[in-house]
Amino acid sequence: MQTPDFKGTHLFDRLCWAKENLDGVQSDYRVVYEDSIDECAKILVPDPNWMACALQGGILPPVWVYHELAKDEAQPDFKKHTRGYLLHQTEPVGAMTEEEAIEYLIMKDCPESVWKTYNEGNRPTMVICKKQQLPQTREWRNAWKISEELNIAA
Amino acid sequence: MAGKIVADTLEHSTAGSIATNYVVEGSAKAWARYNASTGTPSVNDSLNVASMSDVATGKHSYSFSSSFENANYAFTIGGSNVGTDSRLLLNNANAPATGSFQFVTINGSSAATDGTHNATVFHGDLA
Repeated sequence: MQTPDFKGTHLFDRLCWAKENLDGVQSDYRVVYEDSIDECAKILVPDPNWMACALQGGILPPVWVYHELAKDEAQPDFKKHTRGYLLHQTEPVGAMTEEEAIEYLIMKDCPESVWKTYNEGNRPTMVICKKQQLPQTREWRNAWKISEELNIAA
Repeated sequence: MAGKIVADTLEHSTAGSIATNYVVEGSAKAWARYNASTGTPSVNDSLNVASMSDVATGKHSYSFSSSFENANYAFTIGGSNVGTDSRLLLNNANAPATGSFQFVTINGSSAATDGTHNATVFHGDLA
């Protein structure tokens, strides 16, 4: 199905179009990351409807838009967003592969301090894996950590 | 977009009328159902959710695709487990942000726990 020309269309309207016209895509990818040495590992799970939007193209805004809004919200005197138009009026990004979508999602939803330096310390603080590679029960969930023996390619 | 109708009021033949801003401003702007009973959680279905994060036992968060204008949006949350007596309530775990929302799932003993049928609905103004 061809995506309508959504430039200038409110992002929520685009998401509603996707909800109505696209089937959700359950990704097997998971992103495991650690953003605090005192806490267990966190697992990022892609939403199936969001993944469908990413694979379709022409719906989601570029990821830098979210970074701009995050900067605004980090200001001490922040009350409400005044640059929400960035979400709606910026040219949507094109179709992504599932792997590209995961990279986009990491930059959108993982802390920047994690994805910018995940492989610079003594051990990786972020790993992309398949859900089958994670424990299949919730037992000891609060003790999950990324293995120190893990070798990852840059 | 095709099929666009511009109207400030909807009028029923007998039941009266309603301003369309009631619909626009009163509709849920995000919702999701997820299952966190085994392995890592998965989202069953949703609207305006980009991802969820499994933070710890009973502790999860959503990130939104279309952010809220401010962090004062309203949330309705609840859940249940299948095959057990657990009654799960969900409370906010951290102060909401415009682009994300974190919460905990607790059982009848107020201990953080994971559940099977968990639902969240958000109302508010979008950015």
